[in-house]
Amino acid sequence: MQFDGSGSKLQSEINITPLVDVVLVLLIIFMVVVPLLLKGYDADTPRLSAEAVPPVQTPELQVVLSIAPATCRILDQPAGDGLPTDCRVTLNEQEIPATDLPARVAQILGGRPADRRVLFLAADDRLNYEGVLRVVDLAKSRVDGLQIEFLTTD
Amino acid sequence: MRLGETAQLQASINITPLVDVVLVLLIIFMVMAPQMSKGPDVELPNTKKPGDQGDERGKILVTIDGSGGLWINDQPVTAARFGEGLHAAVGDEPDPRVVIRGDARIHFREVRQAMLAIEQAGFHGVGLIAKSAGAETKGD
Repeated sequence: MQFDGSGSKLQSEINITPLVDVVLVLLIIFMVVVPLLLKGYDADTPRLSAEAVPPVQTPELQVVLSIAPATCRILDQPAGDGLPTDCRVTLNEQEIPATDLPARVAQILGGRPADRRVLFLAADDRLNYEGVLRVVDLAKSRVDGLQIEFLTTD
Repeated sequence: MRLGETAQLQASINITPLVDVVLVLLIIFMVMAPQMSKGPDVELPNTKKPGDQGDERGKILVTIDGSGGLWINDQPVTAARFGEGLHAAVGDEPDPRVVIRGDARIHFREVRQAMLAIEQAGFHGVGLIAKSAGAETKGD
């Protein structure tokens, strides 16, 4: 080791090898992971078969959210990011503006144990799918692990 | 400049072009990757906070295109043969999960009927695939 001026000259460049290592690993991670990632919502459907009965819920504990075209006109793809401002939905037979939905769902279901946070969704057939998903997004936004049961039978 | 010093300055490989190439490759993959998904292209619904649905491996992708046509992975299927097609798509997957990639323009009826058919075929619970608002993710 030298203690004169030439020692500091050898250290004047940044050691770039660890940087290259990190970038190569990042590249490999992106190559493997990104094409396969999906985003979306878990949707359950009430069981049709007799052997798999969901946990029994007494009627007063069931929370039903209905969306009807008469109160929320999302028959076609909603414009922009949100829902029409005059959109109203029915939560437990009570008509509320869709903007109140996160707070109301949190108030009703937020205090329950995680496995009992179930929201039954009855959406009209004529509604636009994207609009329905945006309502689901609103309903889930303030409650962690909210399970949505889509009522699928006629 | 003294002649003796030039050889010493060239002793290490110039690594900058390598880093350039790797960074460009990284950017190419980041841009191309969303277009490499299975199934036909659909316009996925835009929502604010879609949750994580994991990756495509071990999943059966049901696509409902803009005109209501059904697809299982890369194959178009008729409604009558849908259940059959789902069972065929399971293969040797131990715990298959069905996800629905529904086009944003369709009506809820198509999705509801697909969910009912999936339940009738013996699969419990589906994932409804969306993309977060503003983000350019798969399926465009």
